[in-house]
Amino acid sequence: MKLTKCLRHAFDMVVHSKLRSWLTILGIVIGVAAVIAISSLGTGLQQTVSNSLNLGGDIVTVTPGFSRGGNFFGGFGGRGGGGDTATTKVITLDRSDVQVLRGIPDLALIDTNIRDQVNVSYLGKSGKVSITGVDPKVWGQITTTTLAQGIFLDATDQNVVVIGGNLASSFFSQPVGINKMLTIQGSSFRVVGILNDQSNQIYMPIQTVYQIVTDKTVDNYDSIDVKIKNKDDLATVIAKMKEKLMISRHVTNSTLDFSITSNAQIQQARSATLSSLNTFLLAIAGVSLIVGAVGIANTMFTSVLEKTKEIGIMKAIGGRNRDILLIFLLNSALIGLVGGLIGVVFGTILSGFMPSLVGGLPFARTLGDIVSLNSIIVALSVSIGIGVLAGVIPAYQASQLKPVDALRFD
Amino acid sequence: MSTPKSELLLHLDNVWKIYDMGEVQVPALKGVTVEIKKGDFVAIMGASGSGKSTMMNLIGCLDLPSKGTIFLKSRDISTLNESDLASFRGETIGFIFQQYNLIHSMSALENVLLPLEFLEYDDDEALVRAVNLLKLVGLGDKIHHRPSQLSGGQQQRVSIARSLASNPEIILADEPTGALDSVTGKEVINILCELWEKQGKTIIMVTHDANLAKYAHTVIELKDGQIVKSYENGKSR
Repeated sequence: MKLTKCLRHAFDMVVHSKLRSWLTILGIVIGVAAVIAISSLGTGLQQTVSNSLNLGGDIVTVTPGFSRGGNFFGGFGGRGGGGDTATTKVITLDRSDVQVLRGIPDLALIDTNIRDQVNVSYLGKSGKVSITGVDPKVWGQITTTTLAQGIFLDATDQNVVVIGGNLASSFFSQPVGINKMLTIQGSSFRVVGILNDQSNQIYMPIQTVYQIVTDKTVDNYDSIDVKIKNKDDLATVIAKMKEKLMISRHVTNSTLDFSITSNAQIQQARSATLSSLNTFLLAIAGVSLIVGAVGIANTMFTSVLEKTKEIGIMKAIGGRNRDILLIFLLNSALIGLVGGLIGVVFGTILSGFMPSLVGGLPFARTLGDIVSLNSIIVALSVSIGIGVLAGVIPAYQASQLKPVDALRFD
Repeated sequence: MSTPKSELLLHLDNVWKIYDMGEVQVPALKGVTVEIKKGDFVAIMGASGSGKSTMMNLIGCLDLPSKGTIFLKSRDISTLNESDLASFRGETIGFIFQQYNLIHSMSALENVLLPLEFLEYDDDEALVRAVNLLKLVGLGDKIHHRPSQLSGGQQQRVSIARSLASNPEIILADEPTGALDSVTGKEVINILCELWEKQGKTIIMVTHDANLAKYAHTVIELKDGQIVKSYENGKSR
């Protein structure tokens, strides 16, 4: 029998046992959709992480306190922390630390930060948001965020703020525009810039923050951001900073009371964690694909049993072993292919929802539906392959049936 | 023996078929020798258990003998491999079964086309052939009906059309009227007689029914796996 005829008979077999075929196909659909969605999530995460690696890869942050325990996101929580330290004395960063850092020639910029919560109101609507006091002279050059409107802080003007995109657009009853006045802790501030992000943050010159909040000591910092001159020297510069700060703060490795983290390190750690998480999820999805394959094999065995008599008839009227083998093998491959096709469609749709499903993960929010043509081709050939593999034994069994026995079967 | 008029088509030479039932061996055929000439209408008769089904399977090359040799068109069928045997069978023998053995998911036309597909006929040629055969058996208006939409007699006629599809020399009919009432049974037997008389087919019919055997030219009676009687009805074309 010609291949095209075998294919048509195989197709008819799929069509004529609708319910069972569809249930089997469903098994493959679930497996393929899961694999597609999860691998697209993985690709998306990798892209987001590597995009952000290019930004701020030369930024290093010094924070008071040192966490000696391992941290899930590789030092992610070290920023602004101090509670994990072994000593009871309040640890701070101050001007002397800045002086030490100024003595390191590899550093291009130094920005001192404090963070707090403030009450803010605009047109009668108020709320509590985070505020960051920054050095207005350098912040604009060191931040990785870009401006949607306006300018970064003006070094000469104290009563100005730059606000996050979300705070400007949807926090208050009306959007906040450039040059509008916000009331923060009872004083008025002019908005000079709106950031191109989704945050509710307020950025303000650090000296002004000292004046409007009560729990911060002047010239004590929650963190110091530095920008190094050459990104390639990151590791040696960090080592140099650590050494100098240890000398000036009179600490040893065992009494270390500050942390130095770089964006690059944080992001690499995140990337590693996310990729191992993704591998794990992919393995689970793979298992469901294997279950789908077992489903195909099961269906094919049932189908061969059910069609024993038809196989006998076909052999009596001239069907060769090869013809029978091909028809059943193609049937099984078709189930795999249809399952794969539908699975790709579902997987693509699902991967569109993935970002919101895993919204809790950092970086996952900006993911789109990233399904590459490559992964579609791989998914389709894998599902056909699974179909063929699952069908080999049943199809061989069918082809080896003796016509006389098969005809007697009822 | 090999005069043009009585060319030897099928030759069973001292054929034994022994079924191995674990501890006991049951001989179903015991040294049967039969010669069937081209253009003959042979009825193989016997009660159930006489070995006629076994004989029909062997004649139809659906099974191989335990001992002895079967020559189909002078070829020893035991020397052929599965695939060659299947093709040879498809070309040479058309089967008509008691239970019609049509494929239920296929229409009448598709059932008739199936043997032609196995023999890799040209599509257009096969279609013309199949439609003509269905017209021949009087089902020209029902070619797209499925077996479940046809009566028993109509199904058997589809199966006759299918048996003729590859234009085989031998039509092998196993109790062709067994599942039919006497009127439709008569119609079917008339078609067989016509095929024998007008188209020169060699008909081999396996039956337990003496009335049916009357239509045949040669009658072979089987009992306990052996031929007990072989005679000519005197009926001829």
